[in-house]
Amino acid sequence: MKNVRIWFKKDFECRYISHLDLNRCMLRALHKSKIPVWHTEGFNPHPFATFPLPLSLGFRGVNECMDVKLEDDNYSFEEIISKLNVCLPRGIHIFDVTEPVMKAGKIAFAEFSIKLSSENTNTTVITEKLSEFLALDKIEIEKRSKKGLKTVDIKQGIKNFEIKEKFDFVLLNVILTAGSSDNVNPNLLVSAFENYSALTVDSDITRNDLYNSEMELFR
Amino acid sequence: MVSKEVEKLLLKVQKPGRYVGGELNEVIKDKNSVDVRFAFCFPDTYEVGMSHLGMKILYSQFNKEDYIWCERVFAPWVDMEEEMIKNNIPLYALESGDPVSDFDFIGFTLQYELSFTNMLNMLKLSNVPIKSSDRKELKQIVVAGGPCACNPEPIADFVDIFFIGEGEEVDLEVINLFRECRKEGKSKAEFLELCSHIEGVYVPSLYDVSYNDDGTIKSFQPKGDAPAVIHKRLIKDMDNCFYPDNFVIPLVEIVHDRAVQEIFRGCIRGCRFCQAGFIYRPVREKSPETINAQCKALCENTGYDEVSLSSLSSSDYSQIVPLLEKLNEWSKDEKVSISLPSLRVDGFTDDIMNKIKTVRKSGLTFAPEAGSQRMRDVINKNVREEELLATCATAFEGGWTTVKLYFMIGLPTETIEDVEAIAKLGQAVVDTYYKCPNKPKGKSVRVTVSASSFVPKPFTPFQWEPQDTIPVLHEKQVHIKESITTKKIQFNYHDADTSYLEAVFARGDRKLCKVMELACERGFHFDGWNDCFSLEKWLELFDECGIDPAFYANRRRSFDEILPWDHIDYGVTKDYLIKECKKAYENTTTPHCRLKCNNCGAAKYREGVCFEKRKNLV
Repeated sequence: MKNVRIWFKKDFECRYISHLDLNRCMLRALHKSKIPVWHTEGFNPHPFATFPLPLSLGFRGVNECMDVKLEDDNYSFEEIISKLNVCLPRGIHIFDVTEPVMKAGKIAFAEFSIKLSSENTNTTVITEKLSEFLALDKIEIEKRSKKGLKTVDIKQGIKNFEIKEKFDFVLLNVILTAGSSDNVNPNLLVSAFENYSALTVDSDITRNDLYNSEMELFR
Repeated sequence: MVSKEVEKLLLKVQKPGRYVGGELNEVIKDKNSVDVRFAFCFPDTYEVGMSHLGMKILYSQFNKEDYIWCERVFAPWVDMEEEMIKNNIPLYALESGDPVSDFDFIGFTLQYELSFTNMLNMLKLSNVPIKSSDRKELKQIVVAGGPCACNPEPIADFVDIFFIGEGEEVDLEVINLFRECRKEGKSKAEFLELCSHIEGVYVPSLYDVSYNDDGTIKSFQPKGDAPAVIHKRLIKDMDNCFYPDNFVIPLVEIVHDRAVQEIFRGCIRGCRFCQAGFIYRPVREKSPETINAQCKALCENTGYDEVSLSSLSSSDYSQIVPLLEKLNEWSKDEKVSISLPSLRVDGFTDDIMNKIKTVRKSGLTFAPEAGSQRMRDVINKNVREEELLATCATAFEGGWTTVKLYFMIGLPTETIEDVEAIAKLGQAVVDTYYKCPNKPKGKSVRVTVSASSFVPKPFTPFQWEPQDTIPVLHEKQVHIKESITTKKIQFNYHDADTSYLEAVFARGDRKLCKVMELACERGFHFDGWNDCFSLEKWLELFDECGIDPAFYANRRRSFDEILPWDHIDYGVTKDYLIKECKKAYENTTTPHCRLKCNNCGAAKYREGVCFEKRKNLV
């Protein structure tokens, strides 16, 4: 039995499916591909797959991963890639298979590219407002939790950022705290910005990479 | 394929995955290299429509032809509809993202009457004129099929062509004719005229209806040389009939997210309330070899790990046990589970139970349909209480602890005692559990009793019957509720308001078209969904149009009245239906097709069960 990490992109139409739908999609592809992955042993056996860090609906992901257990230790990684890809919709594309180096729990940061645009505001104004906004000491938002609404400061969760004004959008590259315990969803950041700036913006969000607490690339 | 404009809306709506296409196995063609573009519309949400087998069959079959590109269209849910209207985005097909108005054919499958408004609303969202008389060119031909096409009259003004019966052959004949007509530069009128001579095609605009003073039909006349009677089409050889070996695999979860394998069409039983039991006659089976091969291919190609055997009554498949044995040979190794819905109370044998249990233990649902034996005889259910209780005992001994029972209220000749018997039967099932020596240890039993309201349907022996009024149905619902004394029984009932509207549409005539038109204008949609349905608003519409819905729902017709659907022939004769109706009044049952031929008329197709050798004759 060997653990493997399968790397994929989630884009196009598949950007609009939830994590649960992605999970279903992957399980079906694993089942169809007949790759010797370990199955659960319950009443309804199904391939066992885990996702180190789920991606929100609407985001593109260029370096996403899923962990499975291979029953055949010598099974070729190339074969996994080619066999799985024919069983997947065009919005999900496998590009690499590796042996996992870090455990899923090590994920501490995620890097996002956020394209911001607005129909009635030019990019210079957005850039200015965004710089002001990100320079605030505190960015407080209301977060819904099991105990009701609570106010959290997401400024603490912004590790690094960079703003670039482009022709018809503003690109915000940002590294946010991520992981199972502390996670800042970039959607929260965007809506906090809308509140602050009183602008209505369209956002196109891509998750680029995951990192551990030492800012080493998650592998 | 979604346009930039649509993408902007997607993150503002619930479950955007249903509006984007891009699924595995969707068919993409070059629109410039096909002759005919067909928009296959399901007048409900993506999750419901994608679960429908008929659409999967026709989608694959149409796309197998190089000259046709068939694409899928579903009704956007209310949030998306609102955004589309606000942003001026017309309804589009999922594969190409092109507006529905670009298509040659706009086809609807009509599975339930309450989806009529969705059909009109989808045309409206496409900016296609809803009335056929307003679509003058040879394009945007609106066609419709499915069980509700058996009484097409309430929507006769909107649909150019109805397909009567099974679509696999007739649809392609019509599409092909269209292609030729266009090549020859024919007009829409010429095309429709030619179409009307294809068997199984009904072109409502080629007929005139006149009415008596009391609102009943005086005459129904073809204009020109359109056929006076439209005969349904049916597939004769199920083993050689087209069946897809692959499905479009949805990206988001749908209602029935599994492979579906059809095992036969029709039903031998002839329950008197059941439209499907009459319009799909005669029973035609696929051979176990065909089913096995198709099932295997489907599971391999789709990657589904569950396959459901589909028919009106699975346990009536003549070779069910050999079939399950064949399927079990490979299904376990492939980690595929087989599910067998639509089991009859008397069909759940030890043998079947053990074969489906090897894979997945789903809930058990039975439909005794009525509480008292007399009532079950009236509807020709041919199930005895002892059989139900014995079946439940088998299930309990096999480890099941929950059973769902489906009933109907408002059936013809029903008395309050018959209604009370529903509660009693539920109790008897609970008692059976506790009498069972091998029942699961330490577990309690849960019996769900569901009561829906009877809707009289065309082409059934009850097509002349009045529906109970809403207050009477409410009374009966309350009576059952009060007659249940144990908490082990959970009682659900179906909203009588929707059943009432269903009854109006099911047996409506062309006078309802103006109500439909107004409903569309006022933005009615999703009547099958509690979120949107309002009987009050419908009653206002009827009132405005000067139409009394009770005329359709609650009126007893006489046997000699001309019914709105009398010009359509589904094989079963009207005389047979009258005979069956009279037998119902006498509490007399009719044996099923395999026991005895009752001369319903379907033997004229010279196929299926009508020509099987009966065991008692051999």
